Amino acid sequence: MCDVQAKLIPWLDRELSPGEAAAVDRHVKGCQECRDQLATYKQVSETIDIYYDVVVAAKTRRHVSHWVPVLASAVMTAVAMFLVLPQRGVGPPPVLAPPAAVTSASAISVPLPAPHPAEPAPRKMIRRRHAGPTLRERAVKWQPSETAVQIAIPADAMFPPGAMPQGMNFIAELSIAPDGSVQQVRLRE
Amino acid sequence: MSDDSLPLALPLLRLASGSSEVTTLYRELRKPLLRYLVCLGLSSDEAQDVVQDAFLSLQRHLALDGTQENIRAWLFRVAHNQARNRQSSYHRRFSEPLESQMDFLADDATPEQRVLEKEKFRRLAAAIRLLTESERECLLLRAGGLRYREIGEVLGMAVSTVGDTVERAIKKLAEKCNV
Repeated sequence: MCDVQAKLIPWLDRELSPGEAAAVDRHVKGCQECRDQLATYKQVSETIDIYYDVVVAAKTRRHVSHWVPVLASAVMTAVAMFLVLPQRGVGPPPVLAPPAAVTSASAISVPLPAPHPAEPAPRKMIRRRHAGPTLRERAVKWQPSETAVQIAIPADAMFPPGAMPQGMNFIAELSIAPDGSVQQVRLRE
Repeated sequence: MSDDSLPLALPLLRLASGSSEVTTLYRELRKPLLRYLVCLGLSSDEAQDVVQDAFLSLQRHLALDGTQENIRAWLFRVAHNQARNRQSSYHRRFSEPLESQMDFLADDATPEQRVLEKEKFRRLAAAIRLLTESERECLLLRAGGLRYREIGEVLGMAVSTVGDTVERAIKKLAEKCNV
């Protein structure tokens, strides 16, 4: 075994002085054993480098893949909320059929004039204290308002504790149109 | 090993005078630092945090007129110490088998090549686990482009000890892996 073999790795790493490096260089050119050894060390060094890159890539990739489903579900939930909320919150009220109790009560309490057999009994409506349009009329007349949903979010709820500067506070008012788009964002104290 | 990345001794007065020098340092050293920390056993997020903390420490150090001959070694040392402080389960995570994470290796290779590659890295991972802690750390820092003198500064070892440790580690790996 050559004495130079102890200097092969420092020579690869350029850690030798110029004089030592030149001596090793000369020796390696004429020594097959040292050349083989050097090739092995080079290959190990390159494999280690690749291995560390693989480790970093694997960890990064693994990390991302854990978060992808979480992010995807969060985005889908948000989209679903924007699509569903306006319809549920301010959509046209459902058209209700007159309650069965009303019909039967009117049939009982109101004496009917001798009806014509072919003519249906006139339907008497219950008097309401505040006479207003019926549900059906309201449903027909209903037009979507300009703003479907208004949300007020205090600043404390938007930022983590301690992130807001002392003494600073505001409320963010968010107006969402019936189609789900954000109509207006306003900050007020 | 490359020796073309950074000068060993950066003039600190120039660094302190403008943040652009620190920005340049950040651009050049961020990736090697992240690589070192992740291979040391930190998660990707933890490594990012530690790198940012290390550069914040550098800013503070310079703001207090601190002096340091070798910024690169200094940053690696700070990152190394912070990683050690954060990583309570350092040994367990460092020795975590990585075979399951290597499924994506050489996507364009043939199945046979992939099996061979995987086997090679499996043997290397097993051999690295058998190294001592200082041998692993020396190899990691060497792979990060640090000179023996810088590795010695990071790990608190003499330069000659670093040389011996690196040599021993590489010989062990060559013997175990038959590469």
